[in-house]
Amino acid sequence: MAQVTGPYSHRPPIMSVRVEDAMDIMIVRDTTRRAASLLGFPPAYRAQLSSAAATLAELVLKTGEAHTIHLNGVIDGIKVGLQMSSETPWLAGVSANNVLVALRSKLGDLVDEIMLEGEEPPTIIMVMWLHNT
Amino acid sequence: MALEVLLVEDSKTQAAQIKETLESVGLRVRIAYDGPDGIREAVENPPALIVLDVKLPSMDGFQVCRRLKRNPATQDIPVIMLTEKSGPQATMSGLRAGADDYIPKDIFASEHLIETLQELGILE
Repeated sequence: MAQVTGPYSHRPPIMSVRVEDAMDIMIVRDTTRRAASLLGFPPAYRAQLSSAAATLAELVLKTGEAHTIHLNGVIDGIKVGLQMSSETPWLAGVSANNVLVALRSKLGDLVDEIMLEGEEPPTIIMVMWLHNT
Repeated sequence: MALEVLLVEDSKTQAAQIKETLESVGLRVRIAYDGPDGIREAVENPPALIVLDVKLPSMDGFQVCRRLKRNPATQDIPVIMLTEKSGPQATMSGLRAGADDYIPKDIFASEHLIETLQELGILE
């Protein structure tokens, strides 16, 4: 399965968590806090990022599919951020626009960008930039 | 002299567990079991840090945090919300109320709490 990388260059940390049951959601939250800490996000923003990643993990888990949440640093010019992504085969054939509206409504306050990339399978990508903090 | 933390938590069992974590890193802990008591304690004898539960009788943790952050006597005291409510809305409500961190009560809570204490300069 090809890994979709999103529009930005990657940088460390690069981490991933396999999500198979509810216990893994806590691990997603913990790993996201650690990745955000390594990038220099202050505690309040770590809380936002970990809540966004955990919610994404919960949403995908509700479909009954095991999946992997990828966490990696991203760079865009001088901006550094944290990207969280997950492939979502269950979204194939669903209107990307509708998915984005739903995701932005649920998670839009927690991150700077929410994107849907690729089609086979689609990947949800969320980014928060450090400069905004 | 050890820094003092005000813990606002209505569950005696959970208060004892959190107190143990905080004391294990050398902090002194005072406990208030509801929001109004927590606010009164914070105003009368300002602690170095407030650890605040969300689900409290009579006044929830979001209200308590907003009041603490509006009061000049307590607005500069860091507040960490430690809570069972971990969804996006609750997280944003906590941060918008002025909390410095919002930590779900899960198996990593103690670890995250101590890391945040270091980040806030409460621990070296």
